[in-house]
Amino acid sequence: MRTLAGVEDEDKWLAEGIAGIQHNAFFMHRALDANNLREVLKYSALMLSELRTSKLSPQKYYDLYMRAFDQLRQLEIFFKDESRHGLPVVDLYELVQHAGNILPRMYLLCTVGSVYIKSKQAPSKDVLKDLVEMCRGVQHPIRGLFLRSYLAQVSRDKLPEIGSDYEGDANTVMDAVEFVLQNFTEMNKLWVRIQHQGPGTVREKQEKERNELRDLVGKNLHVLGQIEGVDLEMYKETVLPRVLEQVVNCKDKLAQYYLMECIIQVFPDEYHLQTLETLLAACTQLMPTVDTKIVLTQLMDRLSNYAASSPDVLHEFLQVEAFAKLSNAIGKVIDTQLEMPIVGAMTLFVSLLTFTLRVHPDRLDYVDQVLGACVVKLSSVPKLEDARAMKQVVALLSAPLEKYSDIVTALTLSNYPRVMDHLDDGTNKVMAMLIIQSIMKTDSCISTADKVEVLFELIKGLIKDLDETNAEELDEEDFQEEQNSVARLIHMLDNEEPEEMLKIICVVRRHLMTGGPRRLPFTVPPLVFSAVRLVRQLESQGGDIAGEDSATPRKIFQILNQTIEVLTSVPCPELALRLYLQCAEAASDCDLEPVAYEFFTQAFMLYEEEIADSKAQVTAIHLIVGTLQRINVFGVENRDTLTHKATGYSARLLKKPDQCRAVYACSHLFWVDDPDGIKDGERVLLCLRRALRIANAAQQMASATRGSSGPVTLFVEILNKYIYFFEKGNPHITPSDIQSLIELINNEMQSDNGNTTIHSDPFFTSTLRYIKFIKQKGGLMGEKYDPIKL
Amino acid sequence: MEKTKLKIILLGDSGVGKTSLLKRYNDKDFKQLHNSTIYVDLVTKEICIAERQVILQIWDTAGQERFKSLPSRFYRDTDCCVLVYDVNTLKTFESIDNWHDEFIKQANPETPTKFPFVLMGNKTDVNNGKPRVVAKEIADQWCGSKGNIVYFETSAKAKINVEEAFLEIAKKALTNERQIDDMERYRSVVPTIEKETPRSRCSC
Repeated sequence: MRTLAGVEDEDKWLAEGIAGIQHNAFFMHRALDANNLREVLKYSALMLSELRTSKLSPQKYYDLYMRAFDQLRQLEIFFKDESRHGLPVVDLYELVQHAGNILPRMYLLCTVGSVYIKSKQAPSKDVLKDLVEMCRGVQHPIRGLFLRSYLAQVSRDKLPEIGSDYEGDANTVMDAVEFVLQNFTEMNKLWVRIQHQGPGTVREKQEKERNELRDLVGKNLHVLGQIEGVDLEMYKETVLPRVLEQVVNCKDKLAQYYLMECIIQVFPDEYHLQTLETLLAACTQLMPTVDTKIVLTQLMDRLSNYAASSPDVLHEFLQVEAFAKLSNAIGKVIDTQLEMPIVGAMTLFVSLLTFTLRVHPDRLDYVDQVLGACVVKLSSVPKLEDARAMKQVVALLSAPLEKYSDIVTALTLSNYPRVMDHLDDGTNKVMAMLIIQSIMKTDSCISTADKVEVLFELIKGLIKDLDETNAEELDEEDFQEEQNSVARLIHMLDNEEPEEMLKIICVVRRHLMTGGPRRLPFTVPPLVFSAVRLVRQLESQGGDIAGEDSATPRKIFQILNQTIEVLTSVPCPELALRLYLQCAEAASDCDLEPVAYEFFTQAFMLYEEEIADSKAQVTAIHLIVGTLQRINVFGVENRDTLTHKATGYSARLLKKPDQCRAVYACSHLFWVDDPDGIKDGERVLLCLRRALRIANAAQQMASATRGSSGPVTLFVEILNKYIYFFEKGNPHITPSDIQSLIELINNEMQSDNGNTTIHSDPFFTSTLRYIKFIKQKGGLMGEKYDPIKL
Repeated sequence: MEKTKLKIILLGDSGVGKTSLLKRYNDKDFKQLHNSTIYVDLVTKEICIAERQVILQIWDTAGQERFKSLPSRFYRDTDCCVLVYDVNTLKTFESIDNWHDEFIKQANPETPTKFPFVLMGNKTDVNNGKPRVVAKEIADQWCGSKGNIVYFETSAKAKINVEEAFLEIAKKALTNERQIDDMERYRSVVPTIEKETPRSRCSC
């Protein structure tokens, strides 16, 4: 037997073998030229004796074999030409059997046998049967494998298949099949036997060498797949059972895996489909060490490609109940292989799900069944910690999202959330993000409360903290990205039916309320705007006064009030204030004065009690004034109360300039520029005069602290308000008021710039230019400005 | 009259139809193949060219997945190399350069620029209403850049240009038949004195 030889030794032995072949080939060729049969047989036998070596690894033995193979092709030409050697082929076939050593004898016999078949002096099946039987004489694994490989090679185009020159009787295809099967069986045995040679220390190297030989064995299956006349019936009754019997019974991990792979690759799709039960039964009988999941995955890929090739084949899948069989087989494999890691099981489920989604996309019960089996498996392990298995679960959950453009379909899978429950928190969030992205990408619209309920259960990893003990803090930017995704999602929830939409809003609200103070600022606003949108829809539909369960603006505003109130304790008073104002405006549009008043009350309370920052106060007061100005629902008493509060708070802002601007902004509360709007010119003037006093106070304060008056910007801004209301026809604004203000500004500027009368303030300059322009233009407006002297 | 043996090999990516071409040429009915060729296959066919009896030994190889597994021995003593690609798959055409270079490297012909190649663009029957991906002009250009390689557009399925291509292949192989006689090759490495046959180590 071969010892633990180094590579250098093998190269030396290979070189010696090649030299031996070349040496004898030289003399063989000389004998061929001389047509000396006796010498030809002698030297060819000597040449072939080089293949009797036990010193070479499979790869190097292959090299040596190829040298001999080339020479045998020359020999075959000689054997074929009876005029050169003078013997009938039948006698030649007899003669070569006298070679002394069996290996050369068999190579010569196969070569002559090839010629014999070609001569048609004997039936192909008889010669082949003779050869395949006699090759049993070589039981050394490597020598035997290459010998039978040679037999397969030279017989390839001489099988008695249908349509060939060697076609025989009615049983001709079976004869061809029988030959190939027999050769395959013997080759597999030789291949498997290699592993039992030598001490255990060379096992790893042995496995590598065996892998190099596997194609020699697999080639037989390739030939089986090509034999003309092997129809489905023969495949089902003879070919597949015989091959699988050999595969299962050889009890060899390497061979089982490789040969199953060959079977799947070599035979037609429809044959696999029609023999699925047999094939799957074999899969469940493979040794536990065989990576069955790859075999099954390849099979399912093959079948799903077949299903995609034509819609006509779908009925075949249904007829043979492909899904049920695959499902059962996978379950059995997973149950049998107790050592299979969770990642293996998950990989199988992913493949089965992929198959299902490709072949039976309309069968949601199948999809859910796969997910259900996955849940059972996940439940059997204490906790999913394998990152690769986790990745497979994500792939499993992503597949339906990718398949169904209408995301809602995936939401009907009852086992989907159960699978998600087995993910850890981090992965759960990843999956939730994938779900939301899928919805965004497909522009799906979730339109029922039940589906929203399911959806929010699925994405709960983003909605609330799942594990209270998890102190891990997410990167702030990532957290915002997450929550913004949820916010975007909320805008995708919609239904034209007000009652259903109200239910949706209630479901979303219930889930969002569990989010905690960090999430609410992101998630409450879109909810509020969805609700406000519903209110506007109801208002535009002239909302019917229906029963208790019907959606009404009043009911929705009640929900909104409670929802926004939560934000005040987060605390997010600025955000809450904005939302209250939005609701107030919506309530106004619905002509619900008490509700609108209530929202303003809430806003003012937040302003008084929660908003302390002066800049935030300025922003808030302008928001309040702006919203209040647009609202026309209030009666005189409520309106006076609210405007009084607004002007009061404006005058009490921290800084004079801020006070001034807020107060003059309040002037618009008393003059709304539309036909039905309020036109209280007197109170407009009061606001403007008050602003002037504040501006004066600001100017004096600046003068006291800096020794000079400050910019006249505030005065110019007020002047522009005077002009605005003057042009709008406020009778209480007179030309003399404007004249006085212009002179006031000029005086202020002179005191600041010494005795010069240059108008250096660009705002003031362009304001004066505007007035000149109007006067020059004339007309009705121009006449109004006539009394003003510039 | 002695018959000339010519060795021809088919190279190209997996799935371009090398085996189908070979089967079609060998008078077999076209049969849709469901798998890649496993390892190496051999077809022997006798034909007559210019009143000369020729035996073509055509080797069908596995595609991309076995790219590096073919021993260099396999490439040697080749008389003509056939490169096959799928006109509907650009990647298979782009691989032709690699196959061409790999053959030159492994076979190591005496004059690489004059070694006979034939290029086959297969699956010209497959259209499905779409324009083919690799235009004939592009392939012609490539052939020109490699020393005017002969180009055939074929379809194993529709039996287009298969006979014509292999006839040309045989002619080129015949022209390129090794000028050095086999005898000369062996005479240079074998001593003139015949060695005594070593005693057999095994009785079987």
